[in-house]
Amino acid sequence: MTQPGRSGRNPVTWAIIAILLAVGVAGPLVVPLYARTAPKLGPFPFFYWYQLVWVPIVAILAFAAYLLTRRTSRGAHRAGQGRRDESR
Amino acid sequence: MSHVNTVSFTILVALFLLVTLIGFAAARWRRADSMLHLDQWGLGGRGFGTFVSWFLLGGDLYTAYTFIAVPALVYGVGAAGFFAVPYTIMVFPIVFVFAPRLWSVCRVHGYVTPADFVRGRYGSRGLALAVAATGILATMPYIALQLVGIQAVLTVLGVGSSSNSFLKDLPLLIAFVVLAAYTFLSGLRAPALTAFVKDVLIYVVVIVAIIYIPTRLGGWTHIFGHAATHLASTNPKTGKPFGALITPPAGEWAYATLALGSALALFMYPHAITGVLATGRRNVIRRNMALLPAYSLMLGLVALLGYMALASPAVTAGVKAGGGNAQLAVPLLFEHIFPSWFAGIGYSAIVIGALVPAAIMSIAAANLFTRNIYREFFHRSASPAHETRVAQTASLVVKAGALVFVLALNKSFAINLQLLGGIWILQTFPSIVAGLYTRWFHRWALLAGWAAAMVYGTIMAYRQPVPGETGSHFGASTAAVPLLGHTAYIAVTAFVLNLVVALVLTAVFRALRLRDGADETLPADYSADPVGAPEQVPVRSAS
Repeated sequence: MTQPGRSGRNPVTWAIIAILLAVGVAGPLVVPLYARTAPKLGPFPFFYWYQLVWVPIVAILAFAAYLLTRRTSRGAHRAGQGRRDESR
Repeated sequence: MSHVNTVSFTILVALFLLVTLIGFAAARWRRADSMLHLDQWGLGGRGFGTFVSWFLLGGDLYTAYTFIAVPALVYGVGAAGFFAVPYTIMVFPIVFVFAPRLWSVCRVHGYVTPADFVRGRYGSRGLALAVAATGILATMPYIALQLVGIQAVLTVLGVGSSSNSFLKDLPLLIAFVVLAAYTFLSGLRAPALTAFVKDVLIYVVVIVAIIYIPTRLGGWTHIFGHAATHLASTNPKTGKPFGALITPPAGEWAYATLALGSALALFMYPHAITGVLATGRRNVIRRNMALLPAYSLMLGLVALLGYMALASPAVTAGVKAGGGNAQLAVPLLFEHIFPSWFAGIGYSAIVIGALVPAAIMSIAAANLFTRNIYREFFHRSASPAHETRVAQTASLVVKAGALVFVLALNKSFAINLQLLGGIWILQTFPSIVAGLYTRWFHRWALLAGWAAAMVYGTIMAYRQPVPGETGSHFGASTAAVPLLGHTAYIAVTAFVLNLVVALVLTAVFRALRLRDGADETLPADYSADPVGAPEQVPVRSAS
């Protein structure tokens, strides 16, 4: 994502973040998968409830990604701080 | 619709006055020593935290598009209008990736607009001008959409139903002049503060509507059943079915590209970037990407108001009486289902929900004009105070420009105004977003890609007739993709053309060793998280 591997960031964590975010884009993008009526949720055709369910899912994915970025950038922040001071 | 409902109208006027007072008082909120600086007028002091930013961005991104245009499209064509839901879902993971980098580099260098960044990154005044001009151009139909939303409410209320065209538009003009006045005075603080009122009203109205209205219309099963029957019946204007309850295979490409194209485009809009740059810390943006989907849920529910409107015979009759204007569907639904006092609150939610983003949009467009056209080409040594005064005036001009779009373009589906803006603004994506990661692209290649895509996109949009009216223009935002044959959002097709041109020409220009501009940014700038802006003015408490 943001230059993985640089400034001491953990590439595995960045890969997980990338996957979380990619899932959030892919889920609502695969229209043929959900352009159908069944299975219904109460009176709601699948097409409608599937997409509405993705709203809370993407919020959770984004929040998980946010927590992960905070964890990895904490170590990187100290390294980045030193480098920025040099460049000034 | 002939006589004005006094109760609804009084509530609307009262809430409008409340918002106006807040708008003027906002000038004193989080007051800085000198307000005559674009960081203050144009970015509200660059210090908003998670809470204020949630309201500001929500107030900024969920507009009359959400409350009027999307349900109108669902009312008219069914499932195809629901693309706004995947659009407002996908946008958050996408923005999560690049917005923090944009925030950091703009904070380090004191950039106020996306074009400022492009200017600094590529050392190209021409490319920055292209980005700025596109931003201003694309914002105008988007502001126009807000006006259409206000107009719909006023029409249903019966205000301005005089045959005199000046008197007819007078209430809209008054609302707009008042908005222009407090935006002029308070800058971004006005919409940031009025956004609280807007969002409280909207959430209350939507929650009540989604629970109460179905009970009055025979329940969800009846609403969906009625919509399915109606959408499958033949539209006398086109000789084809109105639409479908589930996107048919032939419509899947359009559906997916409308969602993806809109999602990529949203945070290229100057007003969205203004909302991002007004935040105080880098993490505020990412935190908000997890919190803002609450508005998307609301958007999904509001979209379904379109089906509820279809299930109410009084609403469908009202839309027909209004010349088939589907934008009237939601206000009419409020009028016929709610008691007048709550209908008044519903109308206010729509009107204020249009005024808040219109203010932010005009501020953002004014920032672009001032920083990247006026200062760059006419007055290189403009002081911050001078810049602010120019921006204040420009915010008025932009609103006048939006009026032209309202008068000139077909409004059968107001959403086409926003989708037209999307076709243009998406073409600045390569310059801005690719620029956040790499300096590989050559500035002239980016400019050529932008130009090719702008021409292609505009011509294609111009050539789409309004369904059932041959010879008309700008009637749809989707068209057949060359070579592929599928129908897709024109913005995405143009975007692919843009990227291909930029890639090929960059390779050519690099091989020819064509001179490239200087880059004033450093790699560390893109992950920096300074506490205050470089030229931060000390902030005094408001009270």
